[in-house]
Amino acid sequence: MDYGVITFASTYGAIYAQKVLKEVAPVQVMPVLREISLGCGIAVRFKPEDLEGVKAALAASTLKAGEYAFYAITGSGHNLKAEPL
Amino acid sequence: MAHIVDAKGKPCPTPVLMAKGAMAQGHETFTVLVDNPTAVENLKRLAGNQGFEVSVREEGDTFALDFAKGEGCSACEQAINSPLPAAGGDWAVFVGRDIIGDGDRELGANLMRMFFYTLAQGEDRPGAVLFMNAGVKLPTLDEQVADHLKALSQTGTEILVCGTCLNFYGLTDQLKVGTVSNMYDIVTRMQQAGKVISL
Repeated sequence: MDYGVITFASTYGAIYAQKVLKEVAPVQVMPVLREISLGCGIAVRFKPEDLEGVKAALAASTLKAGEYAFYAITGSGHNLKAEPL
Repeated sequence: MAHIVDAKGKPCPTPVLMAKGAMAQGHETFTVLVDNPTAVENLKRLAGNQGFEVSVREEGDTFALDFAKGEGCSACEQAINSPLPAAGGDWAVFVGRDIIGDGDRELGANLMRMFFYTLAQGEDRPGAVLFMNAGVKLPTLDEQVADHLKALSQTGTEILVCGTCLNFYGLTDQLKVGTVSNMYDIVTRMQQAGKVISL
C-alpha cells in the first residue's frame, strides 16, 4: 500500500474524524477517489505506518464502526488499486 | 526555368535534405526529382510542414515534385510548427478567500484543501497561484494547503502572495511557501494568463 484512505458515511463524520486524527498522525483531506466512489465526498488520507494508530483513534471516537471504511491504495492513474482493509 | 533538385538514387533522408536546402536558398518554386514512392511521401510531408504546395508528376521511373510556396504568412507557419504551450504555463488561479464558496466555514476549508490536493495530483498545473485578502491565510496557516503549494512550486507553478494582505493579518513571518508579492506582479500574471480561475 502506498497510502491509506478512510471514507465516511457523512460529511460531518469526515470533518469530525479529521479533527480527531490530526492529534494522532499527519493526515490530509482529499476528494474520495473515483475508484471507491462510496460514501460522502470527503476522504482522509494517511501514511501506511500510521494505520494502527488511526484505527485505534477512530474506534475510541464517537463514530460508529459502520460510519467509516478503510482502503489501501497502491499505484496511481490507470494503475491505481483500492483494496478494502 | 525552375530550379531542379535531382535526388534520383539518393537514399533517405538525402532527398528531404536537398529539398530543404533549396528552400533555405530562398527558392519559392522548384522541382525535386526522385525515383521511389517513399521519398515522394517524405517530400509531401516536408512541403506540408514548410507551407509549400506540391504536385507530383510521374514520368516513367521518375517522380517529379513541383514545389510552390503557399499563400500562408510566415507568422502562420511559425504558429503551426511551434510546439503546444507547456502544460500549466497558460492559466492562473486567483484565491481571494480562505474557504471555497459561501456557507459553512469548516466545509469550505475542507473543500479548499481538497481543491489544492486535486490540483497538485493532476498533470495540468497552473502557471501561477495568486493569493489576496483572506486567501493569504492558506500559504501561512493551513499546513495541508502549504504542502500542496510546495509540490506545485517544485514543478514550476509560481506562488505569489499579496504582501499588503500578509501585513494586514500579521502573517508576514509565517509564510510557508511562495513569494511575497504586490498588486503589479499579481495583475501582470492575470493579464498574461489565457484564463484565470477565481476562488
